[in-house]
Amino acid sequence: MQAPESRDDDWSELLKLVGAERDRAAFERLFHHFAPLIKGFHHSRSTQAFSAEAADELVQEVMFRVWRKAPSFDAGKASASTWIYTIMRNCRIDMLRRNSRRQHEDGGVDVADIWDESADNQPLLFLQHKRNERDIAEGLRALPAEQSHVLEKAYMEGKSHSEISAELGLPLGTVKSRVRLALKKLQAILSR
Amino acid sequence: MIRHHPDHNLLLEYAAGSLPWALSLVVAAHVQLCPQCRSQYQTMNRVGGSLLQDSEPQPLPEDALQRLMRRIATAEQGPDQEPVAAKSASTKNADPLFAKLPRVIRKLVDGNEPLKWKRVSPALRMSRLYTGQEQYEVAFHRIHSGGKVAEHDHRGREITLVLYGSFSDKDGVYGEGDFLVREPGEVHRPIATQDQECLCFSVVEAPVTITGPLGWLINPFLSFRPG
Ligand SMILES: [Zn+2]
Ligand SMILES: [Zn+2]
Repeated sequence: MQAPESRDDDWSELLKLVGAERDRAAFERLFHHFAPLIKGFHHSRSTQAFSAEAADELVQEVMFRVWRKAPSFDAGKASASTWIYTIMRNCRIDMLRRNSRRQHEDGGVDVADIWDESADNQPLLFLQHKRNERDIAEGLRALPAEQSHVLEKAYMEGKSHSEISAELGLPLGTVKSRVRLALKKLQAILSR
Repeated sequence: MIRHHPDHNLLLEYAAGSLPWALSLVVAAHVQLCPQCRSQYQTMNRVGGSLLQDSEPQPLPEDALQRLMRRIATAEQGPDQEPVAAKSASTKNADPLFAKLPRVIRKLVDGNEPLKWKRVSPALRMSRLYTGQEQYEVAFHRIHSGGKVAEHDHRGREITLVLYGSFSDKDGVYGEGDFLVREPGEVHRPIATQDQECLCFSVVEAPVTITGPLGWLINPFLSFRPG
C-alpha cells in the first residue's frame, strides 16, 4: 500500500491535468476515487446527514464544480482532498440555503465570497505542505473517540456546537472543550 | 496589530460550514484581515480534507458518471458560465473610513442600497445592511472621536469587528481587525479613541437593553431588525 501522502500527490497531479488539459480520462479517475467518498461523507452508516438521493445530487454538483474550477486549483496551496472538501462544503451550504431561502435577496454576497475556495492562504513550502497533510490524517486517527466524534458531527453532519450538545445530551462547554482539545493536539503535531 | 480573534470553536464551525450565515460573514471578514486566523482556517480545511479522504466510500447509481459527463458536455457547448469578475471597487464611499474594507464587506456594501445613516445618540450612528437571513441584525456602527455609547447589556450575542479607528471599554482597547464577542448578560460602554472616528461592523443576535435609568431614551439598539 502506498503512503497517504503520495496518493494525495497523485490526485493533485490528476487535478492539474484536468485544469490545464481538460483531460477527461484524468477526471474520470478522480471521479471514481472521490465521488464515493463525497457520498460517504454525507451518507454512510455513521453519517445520515443526507438521504442517499440527496447525497447523489450533491455528488453530481460537487464533481461538476470540480471540473469547472480545476483550472484554478493550486497544488502549492492545498492538496486535492482539501480543495475538494472546500468545494463540497460550499456546495452543501449553497444547496441548503437555496432550499430554505424565501423570496429575499442575499445583499449581494454569495457563498464563494464568505468561503473563498481560492483563499489567498499563504502558500506553504512543498515539503511542509505534504507533511502537514499526512500529520493531520495521522493525528485525526489518533484522537480519542469522543473528540473525533464531535469533529465528525461538525464536519460531516454540518452540526453547530450547540446542536451537537443537544443531540448528545452533553453540556455545550463539554462539546467546545472536546473540539478545543482535538485542535490543540492537531496543532501540537503540526508544530513539532 | 490584531489582538482579539474569534475563538477556535467559532473558526471551526465556520470551516465546517455549520455557522449561521451572518456569523460566517463577520468571521470571514476577520479571516480576510488576519493572517493568523487564516492559517488556522487553512488547518481546519485540511481536517475536512482528511475526513473526506478517510470517509467510508458509498456506491453511486450506475449512470452517475455518464450523467455528469453529459452535463459537462452540454455546459462546454454553451457560453462560459463562470461568474464574471466582481465589479471594480465602487466609488460610492470616498470616505476614508471605508477605504480598506475586507473584500466580503466591500461586496456587501456594493450589493446593498446606499448606506443610510441613522443618528441613534449624539455619539453614535448606524446603518443597517441587508444580508438575506433573518436571525441577526447586521449593521455598521460609527462612533465619533471620543464619543461614548450608552451603557448597555446584551440579551443575545453581539459580535463586533473594528474596521477603522479604535474604541475601548472596561475590558480593553480594540483596534482595526479586532474581533470581539459579547455574550448575553455582559454590560459594557464603548468609548471611541479621542483623535479619530471609529467604524465597526456588528452582528447582533437579539435585542440589547440599556441598563441605566432612562436608558430607553438613548438605547441605540431599541429597534432590532434582523436582515
Ligand atoms: Zn485573527
Ligand atoms: Zn455592545
